[in-house]
Order: sequence, then C-alpha cells, then structure tokens
Amino acid sequence: MQTPMVQIRALSRRFQQGDVEVLALDRVTLDIAEGDFVALMGPSGSGKSTLLHIIAGIDRPTSGQCIVRDVDVATLSESALANWRNSHVGFVFQTFNLIPVLTALENVELPLLLTGLSAAQRRAHAEAALELVGLSDRLRHLPRQLSGGQEQRVAIARALATDPTLLVADEPTGNLDARAAQDVLELLEVLNREAGKTIVMVTHDPKAAGHARRIVRLEKGELSPDAAAGLAT
Amino acid sequence: MNLAGFIARNAMRNKRRVILTTFSVALSLFLYTVLQTALREMTQPASSEDSALRLVVRHRVSLANVLPVKYHARINSMPGVRVCSKFTWFGGVYQDAKNFFPQFACEPDKIAPLFAEAEFDPREIADFIGDRTGCIVGVKTMERFRWKVGQKITLTGTIWDCSPELTIRGVYRGGVDETNLFFQHAYFDELTGDLGSVGTYWIKALNADVIPELIARIDRTFENSDAETKTETERAFQLSFVSMFGNIKMLIGSISTVIVFTMILVTASTMSMAIRERMREIAILKAIGFDGKRVVSMIVAESFGLALAGGIVGCFGAKLLFANVDIYALTQGFFLKFDVTPHILAGGMLIAAVLGVTSCAIPALTAMRATIVAGLRELD
Repeated sequence: MQTPMVQIRALSRRFQQGDVEVLALDRVTLDIAEGDFVALMGPSGSGKSTLLHIIAGIDRPTSGQCIVRDVDVATLSESALANWRNSHVGFVFQTFNLIPVLTALENVELPLLLTGLSAAQRRAHAEAALELVGLSDRLRHLPRQLSGGQEQRVAIARALATDPTLLVADEPTGNLDARAAQDVLELLEVLNREAGKTIVMVTHDPKAAGHARRIVRLEKGELSPDAAAGLAT
Repeated sequence: MNLAGFIARNAMRNKRRVILTTFSVALSLFLYTVLQTALREMTQPASSEDSALRLVVRHRVSLANVLPVKYHARINSMPGVRVCSKFTWFGGVYQDAKNFFPQFACEPDKIAPLFAEAEFDPREIADFIGDRTGCIVGVKTMERFRWKVGQKITLTGTIWDCSPELTIRGVYRGGVDETNLFFQHAYFDELTGDLGSVGTYWIKALNADVIPELIARIDRTFENSDAETKTETERAFQLSFVSMFGNIKMLIGSISTVIVFTMILVTASTMSMAIRERMREIAILKAIGFDGKRVVSMIVAESFGLALAGGIVGCFGAKLLFANVDIYALTQGFFLKFDVTPHILAGGMLIAAVLGVTSCAIPALTAMRATIVAGLRELD
C-alpha cells in the first residue's frame, strides 16, 4: 500500500487568548493520499483552517506530527520551512491576495523569484500557469482590472507556478458569485483529476465540497466519526 | 520582473507619499548641507600657502583699541619680517548702509608683497602708489558696484568721522578675499588729523620656521607698555571673529542633530504606516516562501532607496545651487564662498543611509516577527 502524502498523527493545537486557553485541534489523526482532493468542512471555530495552516506549514502544532512526503513539517526551522513552502505548497485564499502593484504575470512569477530559474524561464513558467487557468489574454492586467473570478484564477496560477506537491485552498469561492465559484471549483477539479494535484480545501459550502473526492468534517477540534472512515458524502 | 523591480514597485505604490517623504528628507538634508557648509566657511576661512606666512599684530585688549604708529619701525626691523604694513579697518559704506564691504587703510607699496597670492597689475600698483587718494579694489566688489578703473567714489565712515574721496587705480584678482578695498594710510591719517595710531600691523614673515619666534618676540617687545600687543596668524585672527558669535559649532551641531532626529521620526512614521498597510501582503509573501530575513531586507532596501533619493536631491541639490549663485551678493558679503565640499556631501549621504536603515528598523522587525496566520487573520 502506498504511503499517504500527508500523515497527521495525534495533532493538537492550543492557543492562548488572554487568560483562556483554546483547544483548536484535539489529537487529530488523518491521512491524505497523493492525488486526493479533500474538503475540510465544519462550523466556524471547528479548527478546519488551523488544520489547513498546519498542513501548509504556516502554523505549528502544539503536539503531534504533520508529515508531508516524509518531512515532519513542524521540525523545520523558519527559513527551511519557508523554502519548503515555496517548493511544496501552493496557496489559494478566499480574498485572492494578489499584489495590487503587480500584473497578473508578475503575481504568478512572484514565488518563482525564490527559485534558481532565469528570468526567461520564470516568465515561461508563469505564462504556462496562466494559460492553464485560461488567462493567457490577461497577462498585463493589474488585479484591479480583473473580475473576482479572474483574480482567483490568477491566484490559482500563482499557486501552481512552482509545481507544488500540495495545493491548499481556504474558502476559495467565498468571495465569488455563483458562476465564478463554479468556474474555480471546476478548475480545481480538473487540476486534481488531470494534473494529479493533491488538493486540501476548506469550505463552508456543501456544493463546493461536492467537487472534492472526500469530505472531512471537524467539530470542536475533533474529526467527526465518518472522516476517519474517509467517506465522501 | 526581479526582486529589485518588485521592491521599486512597492516603494512607488503610493506616489504622493513617496514624493512627500523624499521631499522632506531632501529638504532636511539640504538644510543640513547648508548649515555644515556655513559652519565650514566660518570656522575654516579660506587660506593659501602664502596666507600662512601672514601675521596680524593687534592691541592685546581688543580690536577697538589702537596701536601707536611708532611700533611700525620696531616691528619692521625685527628679524624674520619680510614686509610690515600699517593696516587700519575703515568700516565705511558706499552710498547706502547696506553697501558694506571691507575697506582698509594700508601702505600702498606693501600690498602686493603682502598678498602675493593675488594678481596685481604692476602698472596699476604704480598708479596706486603715485596717487595719495587712490585705491585698489577686489574684483568682486568692482563687479558688485559695476565700478570702473578711474572712477571716483566716496566712502562714508561709520567708525571714523571722515569721508574719503577715492579714485580707483586698479583691480586685483585671486587671493583669499576678492572683496577688499585698499587705500593709502597717509590719506587716512590726513583725514583723521594724524592721530599717530594704527588699527593693526600686518606682517609677512620670511618663512614658516620663523613664525613662532617672531610672534613671541613682538609680544615680548611691547610687554608692560601702554599698548601691549597680541600677535597671531591670519587664520587665528579670522577665527577670533567667529568666536564673537559664541559657540557657533555647538549651535549648528545642535540644530543639525535636531534636523536629523526629526527626519528619522518623520521617515520612521511613514515607513511604519507603509508597512502596516502591507501586513497582509507580507503574510502572503511569507506563505509563498519569502523568509523573515528576505522580508526585512526588502523593507530595508525600500526605505534605504527612499532616504538615498532624498539625500541625493538634498545634498547634490545644495551643491548645484551654490555652484550657480553668487553667494557673496546673496549674503551681502557675509560669505565670500560657499563650497559644498565632498566631505560635507559624504556626511549628508551617510546620514541618509543611516536614516534609511534606522527609520525602518522597527517596522521591519515587526514584519519579520509577525506570524503568517496573524497576517492572514488581518485580511480575513
């Protein structure tokens, strides 16, 4: 049997909010296979975004392990973790988070500045990523000149630019209208099905979760029973 | 696009803020450059190899006290003296009180050897010597009043109750001061009723080696007399005027420090606002692989660039400005020159560089320490 790409073992995360300690994740154990498309669902405060952040290496667990492709992410230094994120994780956020002063092409090129690629190679990679998301005619547009759906597709192209192991998306359709949301979800589905990208997506929207291969539900920092069984609903 | 381009694009995202910040840094460094140049001009008066051999003998008590004319022969005969001239400050004005410039009564045949670094026309010097009411004038004063050789002018005394009517017999160029007017001490004595006194004696020593002994000898000679002397080099004599303004170095130093400190506060405030507005973007940059050190270096580079741009505009703007204005006319003769030296420029640019780094230190460290999750929370 193939080793899961993401192995989460007895993962806990506590936050200190003033005098109160909040348990965001409570001994979560979860496997995500290579090529999977997992939707993390749950009510607000259930810990789904915290889990996503730890998988993506932008937060550290209080205890437990998060192993991605045999690397225990929590053990890496800040600098090593930054390098790891650059080459292994692509981020898609609810609010797109493009740099407003850069064109679509330059936004996609941004993570490639940290690689050893030449300027011509960076540009070629960025153009290819934008073509993949159907925006090859919007290379020179600034974010404010694009629609919300187009901005999110640029953000997906930026996430794909370094050809990461893992794509993480935090409410990627939360700021989009129904049509644009459908386009983005179909794009993620295509990337998972045809490009074999492993995707972990946090969403409130059952329709959005319906595009995933598997839904994992969290409640009060714990996995709901069906998550452990890995059932899609 | 490369990292430098990204930093430049970030810096220019709010053009109004960039222009105002650069302008405030430029203005402050312009002021710093002006103050330092003024301080230099006042505390390091222009000098030459020749001027280093000149000595001034004055009354020990103050310049307002005069020396007896009989000292002249005794000083003139001392070993080490090449030239000795009576030299009395006239302090008159031309037509109007604002038309002030230095005027001295002196011995006409001593002027050229005393100020050998200046260019005198021998024929004009001969004309000056041959005309009891003649005078010789520095080229800057000639240009200031559009005078011509042969023209008659009248000075109105402000210290001495007389008005010499002079004929310009020549022009001199070069030397450390091109603004002086020299007329005959004999004519001055005639107008003042031959008081038997002289303001100062100016001496040209034979060489630098004899100066210490010569100074000591002159002052020793007139010790315990009614008019004790104080002999000093021309440079020390000029600096004694600066000391009349008080501790000018400390004053200008204090003003410069306040300027620099204010500049740091203004720029730090600007950088803090600029970074605070970008905390979400910084979180995104970190999420996609920019580590804390790289984020800090980008912020420092941006701040450094802005400060340096301000420094270039302020310091080199001052250099350009003062290279093209007639500072003598502008300051009505207070400053002869206003040279923004490479040393002052380097000081200004160094301050700009330090300013660039220090003003962004706190926001850069805040950005480095902020967690990505905290940054993302701000945006969501």
